[in-house]
Amino acid sequence: MMPVGAQERPPASHPSAPAVDASSAICGSNQRKPFMPLLLKTIAKRLLATVALLWGVTVVTFLLVSVVPGDPAAANLSQQAYDDPEIREAFRSKWGLDQPLIVQYGQYLWNILHGDLGVSQQTNRPVLEDLSRYIPATIEIAIPAMVIAIIVAVALGILSAMRKGSALDNGIRVLSLTGLSTPPFWLALVALYVFFYIFGWVPNGGRLSNMYDPPPTITGMYTIDALAAGQITVFWDAVWHLALPVGILAVLTTSGLLRFVRSSMLEVLDSDYIRAAVAKGLPRRIITWRHVFKAGLLPVLTVSALTMASLMGGAVLVEQVLSWPGLGQYAYKSALGLDLQAILGVTLFVAIVYTGINLIVDVLYTVIDPRIGAK
Amino acid sequence: MKKANHSKLAVVAILAIVPLVLTACDASPDSSNGGGSQTLTVDNSFVLKTLDPGFVYEQTGATIVHVLYDTLVTFDGSDVSEVKPSLAESFEPSDDAKEFTFTLRDDVTFTDGSALDSEDVVFSLNRLKNLKGSASQIVSSMSFSATDENTVVVTSDVANPDVPTILAQPSTGIMNSEVAAENGATDADDAATTDSIGTYLDTNSLGSGPYKISSYDPSSKVVLTANPDYWGEAPGYDRVVLQNVDVQNQKLTIAKSSGDEVALDLSGALSADLPDTVQISGVPDTSYFLSLNQDPAVSALTSNRAFVNALRASIDNEGIAKLFGPDATAASGVVPPAFAGALDPSDAPKQDIDAAKKLLADAAISNPSASLVYPAITYRGVDLGTIVTKVQADAKEAGITIELTPQPINVFLDGQAAGQNEIGFSPNSLNYPVAASLVNNMAPGASTSLRNGWTIERADASAIDASEAVIAATTPEGRVAAMQEWQRVMNEVSPFIPMANNSGIVVATENLDGAVYSPAGWTIDLADISSK
Repeated sequence: MMPVGAQERPPASHPSAPAVDASSAICGSNQRKPFMPLLLKTIAKRLLATVALLWGVTVVTFLLVSVVPGDPAAANLSQQAYDDPEIREAFRSKWGLDQPLIVQYGQYLWNILHGDLGVSQQTNRPVLEDLSRYIPATIEIAIPAMVIAIIVAVALGILSAMRKGSALDNGIRVLSLTGLSTPPFWLALVALYVFFYIFGWVPNGGRLSNMYDPPPTITGMYTIDALAAGQITVFWDAVWHLALPVGILAVLTTSGLLRFVRSSMLEVLDSDYIRAAVAKGLPRRIITWRHVFKAGLLPVLTVSALTMASLMGGAVLVEQVLSWPGLGQYAYKSALGLDLQAILGVTLFVAIVYTGINLIVDVLYTVIDPRIGAK
Repeated sequence: MKKANHSKLAVVAILAIVPLVLTACDASPDSSNGGGSQTLTVDNSFVLKTLDPGFVYEQTGATIVHVLYDTLVTFDGSDVSEVKPSLAESFEPSDDAKEFTFTLRDDVTFTDGSALDSEDVVFSLNRLKNLKGSASQIVSSMSFSATDENTVVVTSDVANPDVPTILAQPSTGIMNSEVAAENGATDADDAATTDSIGTYLDTNSLGSGPYKISSYDPSSKVVLTANPDYWGEAPGYDRVVLQNVDVQNQKLTIAKSSGDEVALDLSGALSADLPDTVQISGVPDTSYFLSLNQDPAVSALTSNRAFVNALRASIDNEGIAKLFGPDATAASGVVPPAFAGALDPSDAPKQDIDAAKKLLADAAISNPSASLVYPAITYRGVDLGTIVTKVQADAKEAGITIELTPQPINVFLDGQAAGQNEIGFSPNSLNYPVAASLVNNMAPGASTSLRNGWTIERADASAIDASEAVIAATTPEGRVAAMQEWQRVMNEVSPFIPMANNSGIVVATENLDGAVYSPAGWTIDLADISSK
């Protein structure tokens, strides 16, 4: 057993997580750099990297969509229209597909710099307008699902880790594994069958009942907009419609997160400095909440953030089964129609979400442990 | 401890009070509702890009546009054998079937109250033609003119007795030309590049139909309300909500529905096991056939007519039809039973393995093997992979090896257009509800044929003659007879092997009248539906 104060490597799930001095993990450090400059420096570096990353995303996506077999004209025109050279060329000309690839890309970049993501071939509307319609729908299910998942996963994960090897631990692990092994569309279908068809507790999908019109748009999230408009019946109807998609996404997300929380906690519990703390006679409550919980949650933060980013990218299958008009459905239909502008728009958004969430996580790491930012 | 208890009490109290306060704030709880108690719900897996009649081509869009924009003529219910008057109270074809004179009603108004006249008709049809979208192709050989306020003359470059049928299609809907032009629409020759109306027609009704647009969200819901000034018979429902519902979800929804609901995508096996509380309407209007490439450079095997006929003889059409569900039929020709000119179902060829083997032996073809390319999709409730697996098994009985090659739909369409598939398989629907339209695609040298290397040079003279006979027939009756003969010839000398016909289906709750499937091009006429 290492003495308290010896060097110890914490769970290093985050790539930028450095070695942490065990003594400072328990007793705190006396040599911290000024906090705000450190934070600003971290943010500035990350923002610069984000710009470069987004540019890279446009290049890769543009090239990928261009080399994938399939002609947007064939995907969007009827066979007879496609076989009519005049109609086919009119389509290509309208969407700029008759231009060399480099010209198309240059035009796209120029438009992006002017805040224009192009027009979708599927909807004939600006992609930006489409995104502003679909993203709030996805946020509306992603955030509650994530909140529920984090609460349940952290609670059960800690419980499972603290009672390792017990019947409770085994039960939680079986539940987690079952959730992980269940295909999302199948779970959505079963949930729909049970909770809509059998019990009638939830609606069959969509965002609002047919008797209601959407509330005046402010955020695009019906629950918030309905409250803002004072339409309480619409609000409750929107909440009722959230139940099934949020529940399904929460189950799917919890399963993965729970296993991670458990393994992270077990790793910390197995650390020498925790054993040292136990040997010192610190109360179990102090060890659990001050040392195990704090150290164990740092990597969980990273995984939660990436999971959140994944949910924001759209849960295609769940959205499809439950007729939820979110980003996943939009991306799916755009891909089927080889709708380059829409695909690029969705890809850019997802990239921004991932980089943005990573930035937030890095900042949070710096806040939680300033030595990480200093490194 | 005492402080903690107080905090908990405060939280509970706030949680209890907030909803009450919010409810009190809601001065008009149902003020946001769409309105009338008479709401019809239509469940459909949306295929919807636009409500502009000049561009509409997809199923959902056609269903909606049909009730927003009246056409010169129309069809009643599921009967597509005879066009009925609509905006035109009558029409007169010339003897050579190249000129059609339509006389308009004089009591039709648009949703804004202005009168519809021949200028609106000419504008709308010219715009459709010049936009050069998917729907433009059906009027590409026509020109339009107005001789007076109530008379429109449609001239076809070639003899075409099907002009009235074409002019019943939703894409030929008539719009208010003045308002459309004010918002950027044009019917000029260069409309493909200069028309700038954009998405205006997705949210504004410029037609004279029984319904108006109330709201439009192509990803989830389109709401229509009855046009109070409609010139014809008022529709059965004040409000129609078309909602985007996944196919599996539709089955649960319609089975649980208490009434006033229709589902449009429960074809094939999906329509099985539905409760007795629903009514089902369907007509076999889609054909499924194999196409064998006739270009020797692509395949020496599939371009050999003996092989084509051996494969044709080896396939069990009855067995394949069963895979499509209870309403499907074995194909006797390429024309589905929904349309005049279809061959009698009893003419469907029977599987004859001995004949297939003999054909191969006579042509000295041993161990033939070919690749069958198909889109990896489920269409109208049927996984196409299931069908081709049965084809593979049937062919194997005759000693023919079929290698199945599923492809993503976009890759399949690309390969099909390039004419590089040895054997292709896909569903086929008519562009407009006339059997003769198939000749435009499947005669030697026509578009579908060219995708399979079946040029005029490679075709048998009998196929060319039979195709020309169809085109030369200038009366509907003459075309029906010519179409039947064309199919018999095609069954012998064409590279196409018809296998089965599948039904489009409308499932409705039992309280509805008039909820019938239409093969006319709009799936269902929403204005015909009423509560019993």
